[in-house]
Amino acid sequence: MFKKTIPLIMVVTLGFLFVGFVFIPHKIAQDFYYVWFVDWIRAMSPFGLILGIMSITLAHTTRIRRKTPNWQYSILALVGLYFTAASGFIWGTQEGTPYMWIFKNIQVPMSATMFSLLAFYIASAAYKAFRARSAEATVLLITALIVMLGQVPIGISIFGEGIATLTQWILDVPNLASKRGIALGVGLGSVAVSLRILLGIERTYLGGGE
Amino acid sequence: MDKNNNIFQKIQQLDRRYIYIILAVAIILPLIFPYNSKTYTTKPAENIYRMIDSFAPVFPEGATEEEKDAIAMAHDKAVMLAFWHDASTMSELFPMELSIIRHCFERRIKFFTFTIFATSAPIIDMAINEVKKSDPEKYGNKKSGEDYVNFGYKVSSLLLPIIFGMGEDISDAMDIDAEGRKVSSLPIMTNIKNYNDMNLVIDFSASSAGTYWIYYARPRFGVNVAVGVTAVMAADTYPQLQTGQFIGMLAGMKGAAEYEKLVDVFASTQREFSSEILRNEAEPIISGDTNLPYPFRQARIGMNAQSIAHILIIVFILIGNVGFFVQKHLQKNDN
Repeated sequence: MFKKTIPLIMVVTLGFLFVGFVFIPHKIAQDFYYVWFVDWIRAMSPFGLILGIMSITLAHTTRIRRKTPNWQYSILALVGLYFTAASGFIWGTQEGTPYMWIFKNIQVPMSATMFSLLAFYIASAAYKAFRARSAEATVLLITALIVMLGQVPIGISIFGEGIATLTQWILDVPNLASKRGIALGVGLGSVAVSLRILLGIERTYLGGGE
Repeated sequence: MDKNNNIFQKIQQLDRRYIYIILAVAIILPLIFPYNSKTYTTKPAENIYRMIDSFAPVFPEGATEEEKDAIAMAHDKAVMLAFWHDASTMSELFPMELSIIRHCFERRIKFFTFTIFATSAPIIDMAINEVKKSDPEKYGNKKSGEDYVNFGYKVSSLLLPIIFGMGEDISDAMDIDAEGRKVSSLPIMTNIKNYNDMNLVIDFSASSAGTYWIYYARPRFGVNVAVGVTAVMAADTYPQLQTGQFIGMLAGMKGAAEYEKLVDVFASTQREFSSEILRNEAEPIISGDTNLPYPFRQARIGMNAQSIAHILIIVFILIGNVGFFVQKHLQKNDN
């Protein structure tokens, strides 16, 4: 009962109350959200944070204790977590503080490096795999070449503003047609799943399969 | 010809490390040695510029700086900049943020910032300080709480209460700013109550997070929404852009470069937007004899590198396909 029935009643009840808040402008429906629900969220958020910190600490300390492969990285993760948090609490997070130094000199270069790898993978994949093997692949390839040229100043300088117009047409017409189709499918799917959850038909989130 | 050892076979099997090296050199060189190139502005970027510009206070002719300050402080229009991304996508989104902050400073437009990502909070500080430090003479005197306010990091689970709450009262929804001050007590909040006054939200993200504003804030409160997104996410936002649910969009480094140019051409010279001027006036110089600080031209310099990278990738694709077709032809002949 505590594992299935009560969570199910909570999900169904709160789900319908939220639907009421969004679709019914009456004061009772609005008060549910602004007076009652918001306070609950405010109270729950810190617990979520504590739970997250406990979970990551436990996971990494277990790895360190058991000396699992690459356990040394877990030390780095924990030191990074606690030192960054402590530096923010002690010296603040403004310009000129150790927290900002860590962010500018460690977080930014590391994150940017990871993201910049994308360009190298794209270049390599384009060279190795982007082949005009079929009519569809040829259309895709030509479209990609036009869009790549139309998006950069050098392409427009070489081929004139017509290529930018053609690029925009590709983005506005064929691209939009497919995007809308996908969006409609996703939207209808979301409504169907939401209804199944609200009506208690979909219960896999409770951990069961029925 | 030995089909396994001919040049076309070798082209097909080229070690990817050579591709990486060539690409790295092609990207790094234009960044070290920038060249002047033309930036073509598009409607989605121009629309954002024009809407922000329409929020600028109007000063009577001959008004002193003090009078202008007082008028700007009492002005009842503001822009919200939502920084919803982490450091990984700063290369594309940060120049957009700098340009829009610079635009607001130039035209004395009030702006607010906030984020729901803990890792974005320092980016807001960096962006505001970068603009102020890059031209201290013009922007060094801009004050938090008067010209702008940073609401800082808000827990993501409070996002909906904040979005809905700002429709009633921004001071109540945000409560305190990043410096711990009560929002309602800040001078910038004079005549700014809710979305009627803060009628433009610009969401910077590497996802389709901007749609939150059109799901929840736009239908109920009528707020205008614009987005700054990474180039790979741009295609996803076109449906909302075409329907007008997004009033504008800055897409990747290209969008940032467009906005940089618009600020250079119009806001920094205190001129109204004009397509004629854009068409006929000489391109602002970004390399060589220019006094423009690097942060205010970084996206256009980045576009130099992106231009070369695109051309190089196209060359790679063409070489790869030539190798593929010739190899296929040779195999057919052998058979």
